Amino acid sequence: MIFSDDMMDSAYYHYSPSYKYSLGIELVDEKKQTEDHVYFRHTYLLDRKNTQHSQRNLYFQSGLSTGGNDEYFYGLLGDWETRRYFIGFGAQEFKSNARNYSKQFIQIGFAPYLGAYGDLHSWLMVKSKRTDLTDEWNTYPVVKFFKGDYLLEFGVDENDKLDLHFMIRI
Amino acid sequence: MRFSLFFILIMPTLTLAEGNSHSKHSDHSAHHGHEGHVAMDYVDGTATELDVERFGKFVADQAGNQIAVVSVTGMVCDFCARGIEKTFQKDEGFKKIDVDLETGKVLIAFAESAKLVNQDIEQKILANGQTVTGIQILQAQ
Repeated sequence: MIFSDDMMDSAYYHYSPSYKYSLGIELVDEKKQTEDHVYFRHTYLLDRKNTQHSQRNLYFQSGLSTGGNDEYFYGLLGDWETRRYFIGFGAQEFKSNARNYSKQFIQIGFAPYLGAYGDLHSWLMVKSKRTDLTDEWNTYPVVKFFKGDYLLEFGVDENDKLDLHFMIRI
Repeated sequence: MRFSLFFILIMPTLTLAEGNSHSKHSDHSAHHGHEGHVAMDYVDGTATELDVERFGKFVADQAGNQIAVVSVTGMVCDFCARGIEKTFQKDEGFKKIDVDLETGKVLIAFAESAKLVNQDIEQKILANGQTVTGIQILQAQ
């Protein structure tokens, strides 16, 4: 997974030994710091509800940095989606010797058409995010496409910064 | 009308595998479903739906092979369901798979000689994040 926003660029690879958790390694280029670092990350599924037409998930996420500032983070991620609608949220706390900050986001979206398995799937979304470094909510449109093993999500926030999320299922 | 369609399209090409206790549902009857689908109520009161045309196409070149008809909940996203296909592709005897996001059905064709275990299929789909609510193993003829 490749991720980029106004705070950082990162490349993340994870492996799921069980559906309950995954372990991963993330290479992070923090835009507001000079030092790149590596996160060892862990994601744990706290709750999942599957129904015929929906899925709801709640995850606990944490990471420990190899950088020199004893940096770590933890947070919650959640989503509920049907084939037509999506609602997601996240809240993370980042701690280090250099600084502490939190990030939150909420994202809603809908699929303008329902594709079959293997088709190109498209989503129109709105994302709103905030860090307490600026204490402002930044709200912007996001589009998401996926087909086969590839997923691409991107938007441009209010500060003209690219918010990019690219995933490949191996 | 659709009841008849079910027997015309499905029954000539499939039979329940003899002596195979994979199905959670031991008996069923077909009745009218919505457009293009056949709904089946099982003796325990649960129901399933199959897209008849899709099902017919899937089994058309599978004579002699086993067909697992798996009812799945939580299968709302193509990208997420992709893992199901990747998992079963590694199985010995795997032939092909079809995922119907609309009805929550996964059809998996295996070689006649493949040893299929319900629990194994359930676990593989659970590991991908979805939940199995019913499995039938049929044999294409």
